[in-house]
Amino acid sequence: MTIKVGDIIPDGTLQYVPYDPSESLEACPRPLPYKIHEKLKGKKAIIFAIPGPFTPTCSEDHVPGFIKAADSLHAKGVSDIICLSVVDGFVMNAFGKVTGSKDKVIMAGDGSAIFANALGLTQDLTKGGMGVRSKRFAIVVDDLKVTYVGVEEARGVTVSGADAVLAKL
Amino acid sequence: MTVKVGDKIPDGELAYVPYDEKEELAACTRPQPFKVHEQLKGKKAVIFAIPGAFTPTCTETHLPGFVKNYDALKAKGVDQVICVAVNDGFVMNAFGKVTGTKDKIIMAGDGGAVFTHALGLPLDLTALGLGTRSKRYALIVDDLVIKYLGVEEGGDVKASSAEEVLAQL
Repeated sequence: MTIKVGDIIPDGTLQYVPYDPSESLEACPRPLPYKIHEKLKGKKAIIFAIPGPFTPTCSEDHVPGFIKAADSLHAKGVSDIICLSVVDGFVMNAFGKVTGSKDKVIMAGDGSAIFANALGLTQDLTKGGMGVRSKRFAIVVDDLKVTYVGVEEARGVTVSGADAVLAKL
Repeated sequence: MTVKVGDKIPDGELAYVPYDEKEELAACTRPQPFKVHEQLKGKKAVIFAIPGAFTPTCTETHLPGFVKNYDALKAKGVDQVICVAVNDGFVMNAFGKVTGTKDKIIMAGDGGAVFTHALGLPLDLTALGLGTRSKRYALIVDDLVIKYLGVEEGGDVKASSAEEVLAQL
């Protein structure tokens, strides 16, 4: 069962390391839980998912698009922008530091794919040596209600990108 | 069934990015296959495994030990030192760049945990949001025959450390 507009987003616990400007590149602080319902109740937020940090499309296109558009998205009432991937919180934190997401995008890990499965948005990349991953998508939630779902069917960033989301807000 | 000294190491395909000193930190080069039997036939090699790239013990203790002792290992006839984790090859490449392994350690991903299962050394960290990972171990292979295997039972780095491997060579 796949998430659709009008649904209440399922609850879930992701892992993230809160942004700290003095944290060095090699530091590995322990991630904290990011509980979806607790964090996003009463807010407008974007959750976009990437198949894998440090992979080409994700690093060169999808993530930079949201970092660049963060201010415009905030101006349209978005409080949190979350980047999700089926990797652990340690890897997502390192990815955030390498891509310079700073305090603009929360890099959150769904290491056991539980939340991605709850959304019905997984893809099997075992043949590519990557196991079960998330599809590439973007979701807009308003007080936990899903108001937009854009899932990529092919390579590239279209309906799941910052421009598509901005146009919908 | 776990491998033991005297066994032939199972074959397997890992993912790695060959070291390129000009490669930027944020570059996401596509990994290539590292076929265990093809690469290690006729050679003496050390394979050590870490539960996760960018995690504390791995980054602060286990991996640096092997980087520091690389020359000593080479002096004892070791041709290749390979670091394995159940992460994909993209993540392992980024981890190598952040920790400065350069051309000393081959950072190889066993993204689907296939090789790790073949060795009988998986570790279930689903409860921690990390999915299936590898136990922390170090092994010495000589022309594909396992000469030493040290698997950590606790949280330390002892039987799987570079120092212990050196003592066993």
